[in-house]
Amino acid sequence: MSHAPAKKVATEDAPAEEVDLTAANQIIDKYLTLPGNLMPVLQGIQDSYGFVPPPTVALVAERLNVYPSQIYGVLTFYSQFHLKPRGRYIIRVCVGTACHVQGAERIVETFFGKLGIGHAETSIDLRYTFEKVACLGACGMAPLAMVNDDTYGKMTVQKVDDIIAEYNQRPM
Amino acid sequence: MVNLTIDDKQVTVEKDATIYDAAKSAGIKIPILCHDKKLHPFGGCRMCLVEVEQMKGRLIPSCTTPATEGMIVRTSNEEILKARKLVLELLLLKHPVDCPVCDAAGDCDLQNLTYEYGVSKNPLQDEKFRWEIDYINPLIERDMNRCVHCGKCARICDEIVSFGAYTFINRGIDAKMGTAFDGPLDCEFCGSCVSVCPVGALLSRPFKFKARWWSMQKVKTVCSYCGTGCQLTLGVKDNKVLTTIYDENQGFHNGQLCTRGRWGYQFVNSEKRLTTPLIRKGNSLVEAGWDEALALVASKLREAKGAVAGLVTPRLTNEELFLFKKFFTDGLGCESIDHSAGYAHGALTEAAVKGLGQGASPSVIADIQKTDLLLVVKTDAYETHPVLGFEINLGVKRQGVNLRLVSDKKGKLSRLPGAQTLVHTPGSEVTLFNTLTNIIITEKLADAGAAALPGYELLVKGVAGYTPEKGAVATGLGADELTALAREYAAAEKALILLPLGLGYPGHNATLAQALLNLAILTGRIGKEGSGVLFLGEKNNSQGAVDMGIIPGAKGKDAAGIIAGCASGEIKALYIAGENPVVSYPDRKKVEAALEKVGFLVVQDLFLTETAAKADVVLPVCSFAEKDGTFTSVGRNVQKVTKAIKPVGTSKTDFEIFNKLFAEFTGKPLYLSSQAVFAEIAESVPGYAGLTWAKLGSNGIVRPVALSPKFVPVESVVSVPQPGKFALLTGSALNHSGTLSQYGEGPMMVCPEGYVEFGRDDAKKLGLIEKGTVTVTSDAGSVKLQVKLGNRLPAGVLFAPYHFGVNSINTVAVGAPVTWVNVAKAE
Repeated sequence: MSHAPAKKVATEDAPAEEVDLTAANQIIDKYLTLPGNLMPVLQGIQDSYGFVPPPTVALVAERLNVYPSQIYGVLTFYSQFHLKPRGRYIIRVCVGTACHVQGAERIVETFFGKLGIGHAETSIDLRYTFEKVACLGACGMAPLAMVNDDTYGKMTVQKVDDIIAEYNQRPM
Repeated sequence: MVNLTIDDKQVTVEKDATIYDAAKSAGIKIPILCHDKKLHPFGGCRMCLVEVEQMKGRLIPSCTTPATEGMIVRTSNEEILKARKLVLELLLLKHPVDCPVCDAAGDCDLQNLTYEYGVSKNPLQDEKFRWEIDYINPLIERDMNRCVHCGKCARICDEIVSFGAYTFINRGIDAKMGTAFDGPLDCEFCGSCVSVCPVGALLSRPFKFKARWWSMQKVKTVCSYCGTGCQLTLGVKDNKVLTTIYDENQGFHNGQLCTRGRWGYQFVNSEKRLTTPLIRKGNSLVEAGWDEALALVASKLREAKGAVAGLVTPRLTNEELFLFKKFFTDGLGCESIDHSAGYAHGALTEAAVKGLGQGASPSVIADIQKTDLLLVVKTDAYETHPVLGFEINLGVKRQGVNLRLVSDKKGKLSRLPGAQTLVHTPGSEVTLFNTLTNIIITEKLADAGAAALPGYELLVKGVAGYTPEKGAVATGLGADELTALAREYAAAEKALILLPLGLGYPGHNATLAQALLNLAILTGRIGKEGSGVLFLGEKNNSQGAVDMGIIPGAKGKDAAGIIAGCASGEIKALYIAGENPVVSYPDRKKVEAALEKVGFLVVQDLFLTETAAKADVVLPVCSFAEKDGTFTSVGRNVQKVTKAIKPVGTSKTDFEIFNKLFAEFTGKPLYLSSQAVFAEIAESVPGYAGLTWAKLGSNGIVRPVALSPKFVPVESVVSVPQPGKFALLTGSALNHSGTLSQYGEGPMMVCPEGYVEFGRDDAKKLGLIEKGTVTVTSDAGSVKLQVKLGNRLPAGVLFAPYHFGVNSINTVAVGAPVTWVNVAKAE
């Protein structure tokens, strides 16, 4: 098992422009008096913004009276939360056991090459985010890929081109 | 009580004790890594596994398991030792074992346990962590590669410090102790995390590579910054104080220290220390011998023929202050002595004397955690006395103390669970307290015995005009808010008021203290456990200075009078010991003019301060680490200070100097030691009777106080707002205490210069940014300061700390509770 090398996910990584906190404030208002409100608030923010922008962390900390460090701990514990903007289209390729033996690694490599992004990265135009995932629960269709909620089974290198061509046409 | 058997020993413990606590009380040692007696049980490391007869089949973590009746516990057998060894092997799998270059070596729990359990080989193998080391902050090195994930740093920062800098971040093998956004540490730098870290993951940067643990001599003494009176262990080697050492068994605070106590020790061995006496020759101060300097001081004091005055810092020991007073009264026949009491400690020297019959707090520190309702005047109590701030945190979070703050700004304490902060108009505190008193009288909530106390009728008459409606107008609070607070205060079974004092808080004067004493007396709070009033004296021996009578005699002048007397020529010679009036007294221009005017100025200090630079003779003195004596801290605790190193250079203790001058001017013999003077103090100072050097022991003794409560009505003086101007409040910065901490490296690394703090809205309107520069101008003068932005100030209110010699805030602030200023962006 390898460890992530020292890596800083600094606040500077966030987009430089100011974040409109109106939506975040409304979400906090909704859950303010609920006990254990940190998770629903963060989930609401993620739903609304597509990710959890760092300025909203400061806002949540201030308004819910929780330490920013603890919020960051929660955000990095659950894989459902994202601290960076995500693509309009989330491409997930399964690398679980069944997909692995069916050559998932080649599908992954092909996506890397065509999209110019790696695992858990987002393209500069914010169109795509690519993720390797452990199992999507459809081993019969291995190797498997998903784009947002659409499933693509029996993946081949050729199909990667088709998928990218198709989603390049779709609206942002 | 619960009875159980541990290793065949019968043990009886309290109901809430854990197996670990029970074993400890029976003298049975169970190894721990993640457990700390000050923190909630965590159960993370599994070093403390034991076997319980009734729970056989698995080993039980003793630090989280409550002791129950009839339990049969075995703390050591082959299986347990094997399990513990495995814990160590797993930790050592990741731990770099770089002990030869680790400062924690010798004081490392992991190292000690590895040795104790003989883990010389590891059957397991894995690569080490490769986390980047945080060298960005100046004080705390964070090397997460050495971390054993005990979580103590995060827990102490949350539970006791209430800052919450750390948490576990990421998950699984990538999990580590981190900060928000995994950024560099940016906190209060109290160093509590360093003190509890069981390994070398968190280290003191100023101490790095200075000395091996075992090579240092550990000397227990008392901190010389604020009045809290925290006990301190100094690490000493080669006649140098190299660090402060954590001892969880020291003092009421269990070894907890604040940022200045932990990191501010460097002034002791600072290169800036004066090492020889200096005598003014023309425009410069020239090195001289002690005999010459003292002879000159003696002859000039004689020449002044009684027109002499003395200002002495409450940082000196009781014995030194006692001798100083004797030297002045018996030797010089002068009564003009002060320790800035009128500016900073009027609450003790005037209000408590009038209202309680003695110049001391009726309450003690332990009352903070025993009370039901804690009413703190100004959120700044955290900044002035940070370790008492920890006590407040613990009181609120663990003992369910209700916290109410009346303050001109919000602060860290405002964020504690259930805390309510009434942010009032700056300078309206006296009105606020008089209004609370009025409400309690009107609603007949007073204590049954109050009406019989002297001055009751006067009080009723005196506060009659302070109706909730009028109070609301003056304080900017709602009449209903004031009424609710008054009712709550009156209804609480135990209620304690805290009032921080200090040169930065001219509004916390005798009048305000009297107003809140009236309230406390009216509701029967005086002399009861967990109730009353605690005055937080600014300096380490502020209470001692009051006890030793460092206040002007009947015919003497107070500090303000002394400065005026120097300016008018009435005072011919001024003796300043340790005070730095140029920076810390109100109105710098006036003070400087006065010190330049006075015929002869002798200053004894550790450093060539702004004040010492104006002297005719400068005498170098020893720091607290170079002398024996006693300090009397907040809540009247008399504690021993122990000499840790020999005097730096040719410096002498203030004791030696005063002793010599006393003997010379009175013809009496020299005192042989501090102990001898302490014996005399015990004979002559009220409240010290019966105390002996030996009895003080290592924790000191809370001296008793005889109280005779009396009402003394006071009128509020309203600070009339000046249209278009900002209300400037002065005070204490968290990292600093007085002007001494300017010579401590640690505090200066974090907070190196004065600043003026703005609320974000005000800053936006003025177009100010963090670390920009502004010119702050009052009627008295103007000063350029760095901008700091914050969320705690209401609109139109500014805050500036007073500790700094460069661009000192007393250039604009001249002693009023509120200074009205203009602000302009400086280029």
